[in-house]
Amino acid sequence: MVTFEPTTGPLSGVRILDFTHVLAGPFATRVMGDMGADVVKVMSATRAGLAGGVDHPYHTMWNRNKRVLQLDLARDEARAIARRLALKADVVIDNFSVGVLDRWGLGYDNVSPEHPGVIYVGMSGMGVSGPWQSYVTYAPTVHALAGLTYLTGLPGRNDIGIGFSYNDHMAGLHGVVAVLSALEARHSSGRGQRIDMSQFEVGVSFSGVALLDWFANGVAAQPVGNDPAWEPWCPHAIYPCQPDASGGDQWCAIAVVSDEQWRSLCALMAADDWLVDPSLADAAGRRERRSEIDARISEWTHGQERYTLMERCQAAGVPAGVVQTGEDLATRDPQLAAAGMFIGLDDPHPNLGPLQADRLPLQFDRTPATVYNRAEVWGESNHVVAADWLGMSAEEVDRLQSEGVME
Amino acid sequence: MSNAQPIPQQDPEADARSGPLTHVRVVDLTDDRAIYAGKLLGDLGASVVRVEPTDGDPLRERAPFHTSGVSLWHAFFASSRSCVQSDDPAVMARLAQSTDVIIDCQRLDDPGALLAANPRLVIVDVTSFGRSGPWSEYQATGLVAEALGGIAATSGDADTPPLKLYGDQYAFVVGVYAAIGALAALRHARVTGQGQIVRLSAHEALCSVLEHVLMWAWYHEQLPFADTPALPRRGSLHWSNAYVVMQARGGSIMVTPTPDFQKQLAWLLEEGQGAVLLDERYADPANLAEMIALTMSTLRDWVATKDVEAFFHEAQRRHHPYGWVMTLPEVAANPQLAARDWWTSYPLGDDRVPGPGAPYHFSQTPWSVGAGGDGEIVNADEALDAVGWSD
Repeated sequence: MVTFEPTTGPLSGVRILDFTHVLAGPFATRVMGDMGADVVKVMSATRAGLAGGVDHPYHTMWNRNKRVLQLDLARDEARAIARRLALKADVVIDNFSVGVLDRWGLGYDNVSPEHPGVIYVGMSGMGVSGPWQSYVTYAPTVHALAGLTYLTGLPGRNDIGIGFSYNDHMAGLHGVVAVLSALEARHSSGRGQRIDMSQFEVGVSFSGVALLDWFANGVAAQPVGNDPAWEPWCPHAIYPCQPDASGGDQWCAIAVVSDEQWRSLCALMAADDWLVDPSLADAAGRRERRSEIDARISEWTHGQERYTLMERCQAAGVPAGVVQTGEDLATRDPQLAAAGMFIGLDDPHPNLGPLQADRLPLQFDRTPATVYNRAEVWGESNHVVAADWLGMSAEEVDRLQSEGVME
Repeated sequence: MSNAQPIPQQDPEADARSGPLTHVRVVDLTDDRAIYAGKLLGDLGASVVRVEPTDGDPLRERAPFHTSGVSLWHAFFASSRSCVQSDDPAVMARLAQSTDVIIDCQRLDDPGALLAANPRLVIVDVTSFGRSGPWSEYQATGLVAEALGGIAATSGDADTPPLKLYGDQYAFVVGVYAAIGALAALRHARVTGQGQIVRLSAHEALCSVLEHVLMWAWYHEQLPFADTPALPRRGSLHWSNAYVVMQARGGSIMVTPTPDFQKQLAWLLEEGQGAVLLDERYADPANLAEMIALTMSTLRDWVATKDVEAFFHEAQRRHHPYGWVMTLPEVAANPQLAARDWWTSYPLGDDRVPGPGAPYHFSQTPWSVGAGGDGEIVNADEALDAVGWSD
């Protein structure tokens, strides 16, 4: 059993009832749990999906700092318990399809008359209205529909898109902004409210500048690879470096965003002819000869070790960065190591063993987020949550477990 | 049918300070790394004053531009705030006395002194790599940040370089974290009267939104499909092997048999496809990877015969989470966004242009977009007058 440590985080004292699953919602509640909120995650063995089982690393990644209460919400008695929990919560959050909580008698309209301070956040795929309200989404769905798949790629190539579930994280983080904003509003008004969040709309907003360009100027954005979307900066690309010991490709980004940086790069490359070439003195001129410039820089970078190349460029005042994989981040990145970004959790998972975690990137100097409890397994906190939030006895919880209500 | 009723969208004539943060004051000292934080807070009703250097805000020169010469980049990211121009420390001190939050990208010389003078103050200190460590002095543009932060290695294909994401996604990631830091610390200040400094490294922020990437590094030996600590670039194919963009007639579509492979198989069988997947061996979890691969190849052949638009809607009618790959003009014409009256209008000089609406809809305290302000050069008293904080 996990022994929850008391927290000093800035959200200490905030109670969150969490009906979320997969990534977007769990990431939101993970961040709030990291900041000290008491997050109770309601799980049901009957709703565990492909990646939802508690023994999958995917579960452990997004569900730390939460207490798991197991409820079979197909049963009336379980729904009644969930409703009692909602009446004790500051925030109720879900990413079910639209209307699921309402059908269970757990929706905002069911709970707020008795608990006007409660805040509900529904993180559905499409929002609670519109002709697509019943459409189901995962992050790759949203990426496609929001234009992000089309735009993240190279001109003339089939769709590549984003290689990870970016929008899930970002929907989760915007969900946190929504919760914290509603808490601030409640601080002055005393009233809670309902927040309708469409993960699709979150994704569309990430093309905000391009959409303004479309509406204002009729310019239809196209994929640009590693070029800047709008600025003429050049050189601005990812260049090949010395392969690793097994022959795997290695890369380093170099992004020149001023003429001074261009001159520094020329000096570093001993490219005296470029230094004195007036046609390359500004970004527009360099952009005209981008292919030639990129080819010569690639020739220069190809034999260099990637981290050494980056250090040389940065020392010369040229922005550059190694293309780091997850393995690089976890084992080679000296900045993250110095910052203590990755931590081993004290309490091993009962089936997976020792767990790793990336700490919250926000560092509060007065209310530090220093507590990292591992993700719980089925019903691990049934007794303590039922006691803490509802004052239920151990015998009553035992009965509910034996009868399958807490399952 | 849901009981939940649609929450009214923004009234273009509504008071720009009608959101949940109406009682919050914010000083914005950001550059491109965290300017989105000010947008998030300002659009939610906070009174945000952006203090620009007297030699001008370089973000006003960011392309693309409206025909009036106004930067559309700036109009989007710097919405809903007043702008003043000053390098005078006295102006900063007066604003710091009057505000709840300062979001700073390394312009403040002595944040501790401001906090001592206003103990309820929250200061969010945004850097590229942190205040210490071997890379703390490194420069990072968006491309460099996404390379070092693990994003580029995860996007692209085997025959392409690693790819950054379109637009300035690093600014969205860092900005939303900065807003969270500000609001969480503000809540603590509301409860206890104690402000604080919140530090945010953009590098760390980017590392935290990589989905499977760190999971792969840490647990690849326990994952069924993983044999190396880093998954190579492979286009649109998801780490689970069960989501990929496929070519249909008239366009492409993201297809996945998840979350219910049996329902997907039933649809295939209904159309005379996929009988090979009925083989009993595919019911054995030991053959999961092979079953997924066969399902995806079957789907690819089948999808190629479909007209993309009708196929997408039919898939969604059956509750399959397929996603039609849309261009930006198609997104702009999306019927779901239109039906939800989602688009708002951005002030551009004397003009107003449609633009993205709210990422969330509050039932009691509506979101809205206000103008970005002109950037008037002021002294300390004028600064407070200009932003309405004189009282």
